[in-house]
Amino acid sequence: MKSKKANSQSNIILNFFSSVKLAITLFILLAITSIIGTVLPQGETLQFYLENFGPTWFKIIKSLQLYDTYHSWWYLSLLGLFSINLIVCTIRRLPYTIRLYNKDSLQLSKDDLLRRPLKKQWKVKNDDNTAVPKIISIFSSIRGKLRTKHDVDGGELRLIEKGRWNYWGVYMIHVSILVIFAGAVFGSFTGFKGRIMLLEGETTNQAMKMAPNGNIKKIPLPFSIKCNKFRVEFYPNGAPKLFQSDLTIIKNGKEVKKKSIVVNDPLTYEGITFYQSSYQSLPSVKVKIISPDGKQRLLQISAFDKAIWPETGMVIGLIKYIPNVHGSPAARIYIGDPSGNGDALWLLKNHWKEYRIGDKVFRLDMVEGGEKYMTGLQVKKDPGVWIVWLGCTLLILGFGVVFWVGHERYWLWIGRNNNGLQVILAGQTNKNRVSFEKHFRKIEQEIQDSLGET
Amino acid sequence: MHITSSYLLSITTFFYLGAAAIYLIYWIFRLDKVGILATVTTIAGFCIETAGILLRWKESYELGYGHAPLSNLYESLIFFSWVTILVYLVLEFKTKNKVIGAFATPFACLAMAYASFSPNVQDSIQPLIPALQSNWLLAHVITCFLGYASFAVACGFGIMYLIRGNSKGDGLLGALPSRKVLDELMHQTIIFGFLWLTVGIITGAVWANQAWGTYWSWDPKETWSLITWFIYATALHARFVRGWAGKKIAYLSIIGFISVVFTYFGVNFLLSGLHSYGSS
Ligand code: HEM
Repeated sequence: MKSKKANSQSNIILNFFSSVKLAITLFILLAITSIIGTVLPQGETLQFYLENFGPTWFKIIKSLQLYDTYHSWWYLSLLGLFSINLIVCTIRRLPYTIRLYNKDSLQLSKDDLLRRPLKKQWKVKNDDNTAVPKIISIFSSIRGKLRTKHDVDGGELRLIEKGRWNYWGVYMIHVSILVIFAGAVFGSFTGFKGRIMLLEGETTNQAMKMAPNGNIKKIPLPFSIKCNKFRVEFYPNGAPKLFQSDLTIIKNGKEVKKKSIVVNDPLTYEGITFYQSSYQSLPSVKVKIISPDGKQRLLQISAFDKAIWPETGMVIGLIKYIPNVHGSPAARIYIGDPSGNGDALWLLKNHWKEYRIGDKVFRLDMVEGGEKYMTGLQVKKDPGVWIVWLGCTLLILGFGVVFWVGHERYWLWIGRNNNGLQVILAGQTNKNRVSFEKHFRKIEQEIQDSLGET
Repeated sequence: MHITSSYLLSITTFFYLGAAAIYLIYWIFRLDKVGILATVTTIAGFCIETAGILLRWKESYELGYGHAPLSNLYESLIFFSWVTILVYLVLEFKTKNKVIGAFATPFACLAMAYASFSPNVQDSIQPLIPALQSNWLLAHVITCFLGYASFAVACGFGIMYLIRGNSKGDGLLGALPSRKVLDELMHQTIIFGFLWLTVGIITGAVWANQAWGTYWSWDPKETWSLITWFIYATALHARFVRGWAGKKIAYLSIIGFISVVFTYFGVNFLLSGLHSYGSS
């Protein structure tokens, strides 16, 4: 008794988790709650929500993690429940579908045919043996696989069947959703996403990632990437036309791959992909310095950057760049000596200037001034993406099967007794009933006409 | 006179308006000749619109931009009405029922009118910004709009289903297809639309992955298309819950289409403060 009760209890649970009602409830819940993240700004700092929504809403936003709705505990739980629903439902229906799939559509009695939703019966009193071949040839014109069984309730039963594997279409669809989820989860555990800002000519072997708390995390790469050149072009109306970075991958000191990337055409190396995502233009100047003892050096400096002349310990940086002062570019330079004293001075292009440290005189000149580009790259590794694409393919194929293929069956039973000829036509489908019925009526009419002539 | 694509496309609006009116008259009086006139008007409008779209394509090459006319709000509205009429004409041909036209052509007409006459919609041909320079643009827009257009027609069926009630006989409502037929048509169109919406979302994901390295970033537009998708998934599964067929599915097909419209316009105009795609 006890086990029976336990059994029925587990049945209740299984029924709950496999029910279409739960699926519909989840669809509706997901649809409604998904709206939140499209109305409420996402991914801001907690401070932002406190300032804009007041303390009461702030509490709700914080505890329900509405600042990152689609990764909040309750949204992920809904998705989890949804997956369980899908898995349990699929497994529970499997035996039923296998039975349906394996069921022999010829294992029917004459009375079964008369119980089909679509059927027609004819009784022919005086047939002259020409009716049967005509009927059979009309019936055989239906597309599908024809099979015949003798001795069914004293007659002959014919079956034309097609699209039996339609039953698996829905499975393809449902399983594909799980495959997509699996790919997304797998990718989020094994991959990473980051950003790189690279000045033209610069090389790096790490990407940056902004953590939710605002800290910047460094992600090391197994190779280096260099930006040789960045290009931006505009249409005459001012809209951007092209963003392009010429990149080189360097591994163990060797150039192993080179590619110019644009927005829709990234570079992939060892499973890590670099996407063109943004750019900045930065002023950049070349300064020539001559030390008191006659040594020369050409230093390139860009905004936010400084250059060092190791032999003398001199440091110079770029404070400001003005492309045009009385016809020539000007730059305000920071210059510092090894002891940490520093100064700022203006340089005009092709005008030597002197700078004294104690009794030593350095001479400086800006030999080149201009804009330099910094390319913004999105860096990603996602080993799960192929699983996602596999799921998507399966999803589309499944739809093809569900939509285009129906399990269609036509039966024809012909029997003879003392009263003459008896003919039964029956049909059944699980898809697109209206057009199937139309076709059925057409066949029925053709048979009717052929009988009418006899 | 020099014929431009904008000229052809604004004429189309009046053809579809005429077609909608004639279908309505046909529905009321059920004269065969009126029905034929309605179909002819629709087909004529469709041909002019097709010519307009092709001409616009050619014009974009003459301007030196050279891209399929599917890249901004104006062009996608035009394409929406084109596909809606296409889906409808196929259905009219298959079902031989012209009354449906009174419920389908208005959607195409409204889209055309909005595209041609709203001050919000720019009808000039613009060059493609780098993010749109992809072959996936074509696949993405075409599939999404096949979905949207099917949903518009399904919404028409939903409205027909609800106003039809159980009336029989020769009255206005009796001329509509039976509830059984409407239910089946509604379901078929929703599955068809759902298939294309799904492919549209997937092509969008492939594209986003290629352009930005993320196939799904919970952008408002993406999220709203997912919401739309959930609504139609509800409609598809509602048939398997006892007592949910028919009326509830008709309501869902109307709500679903409202969600489609919001995905399309609402996100651009109302949620534009967020990181939505560059305004179309
Ligand atoms: C996003 C997820 C889902 C999608 C895209 C989806 C899609 C579909 C589609 C297209 C059909 C065929 C409808 C028809 O032939 O009329 C279907 C049928 C069905 N779905 Fe889902 N579904 C999903 C989730 C679920 C879940 C979670 C359940 C859980 C109970 C479920 C249960 C069913 C059942 C029982 C059927 C009927 C199968 C049959 O015809 O034998 N589905 N689904």
